[in-house]
Amino acid sequence: MKRTHIVLLLLVAAAVCVIVSMFGNFSTYETFASAGKQPGKAYHVIAVMDKSKGTVYDPQVDPNHFYFYAKDKAGNENKVVFNGAKPTDIEKSEQLVMKGYIQDGTFHCSGIQMKCPSKYKKDMVVEGNAS
Amino acid sequence: MNTQFIGEHLWPGQLGHFFAIISFVGALFSAISYFISVKAEKNNVALSAQWQWLGRGSFIVHVLAVFGIFSTLYYIIAGHLFEYHYAWEHSSLTLPTKYLLSCFWEGQEGSFMLWTIWHCVLGLIVMRTAKVLETRTMAIIALVQTCLATMLLGFYLSADSRIGSNPFMLLRMQMQGAPVFQMANYMSFIKDGNGLNVLLQNYWMVIHPPILFLGFASTLIPFAYCIAALWKGDYQLFVKPALNWSLFAGGVLGTGIMMGGAWAYESLTFGGYWAWDPVENASLVPWLVLVAGLHTLLVYKATKRTLTITFILFLLTYCLVWYSTFLTRTGVLGNTSVHAFTGEGSSLYWHLLVVLGILLSLSVGLLVYRWKSLPKIKSEEEISSREFWMFIGSFVLLLSGMEIIFATSLPVWAPLYKWLTNKDIAPPVNPVLQYNNIQVWVAIIIGVLSASILYLKFKHTNMKTVLKHLGITAGIAVVIGLVIGFGQKIDAWQYDILLFAACYAITANIYYAFVVMKGRLKQLGPSIAHWGFGTVLLGILLSSYNKQTISFNTLGMVMDFGKSASENARESRENVLLFRNRAVAMGDYFATYRGDSTSPSDPRTFYRVDYERRDSVTHEIKESFTLYPDAFINPKGQQGLVANPASKHYLTKDIFTYVTSVIDPSKRTDTSTYKSYMVHKGDSIFIDNEYIVFKGFNADIKDPRYAAQQGDIAVAAQLGLYNYDGLVQDLNPIYLIRNQYESTIDDTAKKLGIYVRFSKVIPAQQMAEIQVRQTNPKDDYIVLKALQFPYINVLWLGVIIMVLGFFISLFNRATAKTVVVSIKGMKIEE
Repeated sequence: MKRTHIVLLLLVAAAVCVIVSMFGNFSTYETFASAGKQPGKAYHVIAVMDKSKGTVYDPQVDPNHFYFYAKDKAGNENKVVFNGAKPTDIEKSEQLVMKGYIQDGTFHCSGIQMKCPSKYKKDMVVEGNAS
Repeated sequence: MNTQFIGEHLWPGQLGHFFAIISFVGALFSAISYFISVKAEKNNVALSAQWQWLGRGSFIVHVLAVFGIFSTLYYIIAGHLFEYHYAWEHSSLTLPTKYLLSCFWEGQEGSFMLWTIWHCVLGLIVMRTAKVLETRTMAIIALVQTCLATMLLGFYLSADSRIGSNPFMLLRMQMQGAPVFQMANYMSFIKDGNGLNVLLQNYWMVIHPPILFLGFASTLIPFAYCIAALWKGDYQLFVKPALNWSLFAGGVLGTGIMMGGAWAYESLTFGGYWAWDPVENASLVPWLVLVAGLHTLLVYKATKRTLTITFILFLLTYCLVWYSTFLTRTGVLGNTSVHAFTGEGSSLYWHLLVVLGILLSLSVGLLVYRWKSLPKIKSEEEISSREFWMFIGSFVLLLSGMEIIFATSLPVWAPLYKWLTNKDIAPPVNPVLQYNNIQVWVAIIIGVLSASILYLKFKHTNMKTVLKHLGITAGIAVVIGLVIGFGQKIDAWQYDILLFAACYAITANIYYAFVVMKGRLKQLGPSIAHWGFGTVLLGILLSSYNKQTISFNTLGMVMDFGKSASENARESRENVLLFRNRAVAMGDYFATYRGDSTSPSDPRTFYRVDYERRDSVTHEIKESFTLYPDAFINPKGQQGLVANPASKHYLTKDIFTYVTSVIDPSKRTDTSTYKSYMVHKGDSIFIDNEYIVFKGFNADIKDPRYAAQQGDIAVAAQLGLYNYDGLVQDLNPIYLIRNQYESTIDDTAKKLGIYVRFSKVIPAQQMAEIQVRQTNPKDDYIVLKALQFPYINVLWLGVIIMVLGFFISLFNRATAKTVVVSIKGMKIEE
């Protein structure tokens, strides 16, 4: 066995370790209920905005506070708080992919990705900070 | 149903579709001709030559047809022929001419066409320069062109499945259900198009896609040469052209990728030039693998080693280009991408998979077929040799690319994962952190290797002098690294190592260029490219590690670089509300929103924000500037705004701002009323942020607003409006008695929304009644986000240096005479 082959094997082994360890970082798609089982832990939740309840964003009170209600795939509705400016056109969204966690029954999200009607090309818009 | 529609221009569409069919037939015929020519090469040279001529001719016909498609589509877009779906969907009457070309690449068909055009241009060059390998390389290029031409065919197999999509589709065909298209005069209802996505209305978007696609297209050429080499079983002829073309592709693709970064930085609001978004990753990974292939090819050229991996890398590069197209164009990424393109339906999905299948089976098939006969060298390379470390570096690049593409492809393999574990896997909550944590190690390894590799010699290195050079430069790098590390407060240890690696790559390559190579520019390509790479690493580190949100009250927030979990969970509160004319502290600055403005020739609304930096003791203004972040209000039928950032560029940092929300103009009301003040000469009236001083009466009025008449009694109040910095302006409201009636002529300070009225004189006490009204500043506000990127210019500079290195290498190699080398090479092979 050549020296190069040994080094390559080591590198591949390292790469495999890295990829396996990556799985610890991957998130999962959850519902409000399943995310609520571990409050404070961040997940992805796919939901639809409840347009009948409207949205609340008043920058004069707090420019970093926007909330609305959304219904997840299981059909449960939850209050969603987003610490940022109101994303453009969120009322027209057909679906929201939100990153965040449940705390005291409220879903706090750090990022919202909207799917808008396909009339508009390139319809994915991300808002907010993923930090 | 044969309605005669009124006002349509049908001939451009028919002509365009005709060109599309010609381009397909031409490419197919060219591929077949070249293939037959290769087959006949050994036994019947005359026949082979004839088929070669046919292949050339039909390829040229194909090229002409492609340019025909392009011109026709341009004619349709530029002529605003909205009966065509493409023009209606992607352009509008108000679109500035400079963005007409951008309409092409907003749509899927236009992007494929751009790609095809570059293949045509490159194909013609290869046809002229490939000589012995022409038939084989051109057969591959024509084959790929055939695949691309099918993308524009729009050939329906059934109502739902089709091959390709015809850019010359009429609007009424695309939307058959809509009742308006039942009317013969429907054209009179379609006045304007849908318009171009506002994010694409940026000058970077005029230039970035052509360069990026040229980069993608030029990876086809090394691919074609590798296939040709395997096909012919000749492993010498392909080396020089493949090397030159991969240098070209590396330089152009690198430029294209960073132009995308510049566009994202200037016109998108995710606050940066790189977000590890799938669309970005999909262009980066082929570049990484291409650069790896370029290096193993250099090793092969010098030592006859690493031929197999070179083939694998170049073949993989081009397959990855198609895989990237598959990822970003079919909507398979679904929920994970910021700016993934809309899914074009299952037809494109399968179409791209079939093309990818053809390319992969061709690559794998030929490799397997030739595997046994590929020349391999039994002996071991020395640890001190350049080839050993170059090979390792290339392999690390490959692994890095594989990690990125694996993580990016998550939605592709997620169903398999769900089947195995019954979990719906999603990307990490903070994908940037995950990529950074892994890729920092790749950057460190590649940084150190690109610093030291040029000092090593092929086959055997005399380590004594080399170690001296490497030691000196490493010492300098440590010193520079320490200075920058302390100065910039880079405390995460892995990023300190990266800092050293970047400094090392810079110092070692500059030292190499001047001390070892004595500054002979022609041969400096590699060291300049490596120097640029080090500078890129340094720029990324400095600008991202200390990226600060300054619209956030607490300073020094480190973004996405190894923060602890609890810090990551902290909610970001990065937006700040700016009332009109109220200064708000932002980092070192005070920012004041001064109002908005629009122009009839520009669809955007501009928001003027003044910035001031004051000395903390004397409060003198040290520096002031104005930024105009702008936004499209309610574009393309959306509600809300799409913001464009504005930046203040310093040599050492950028202040980057954008508007995240504005007041709804319908809610803007003016409910302010006049307040009365009785003042003597010298009295002050204090209002919101300013004060007014009454300086006395003036009966000798020289004011254009007042025309004196017989019998008037008129007197003006001399007022001075002051703020923190002193006098803003004089105000002279007038009190007037004419024909025994009192009246007033008011004065205003428009900018500040201050109105003053001189309503009464009390002569006995020498007093005046002054009424003041100030519009409520809360009636007008914007919500702003401001970021500070330190040393971002280092990154841009690094990219320029690196690309320059690629092109110097290319120039040097393209003009060098390598005949001797290849004769030597033949001997080694025997």
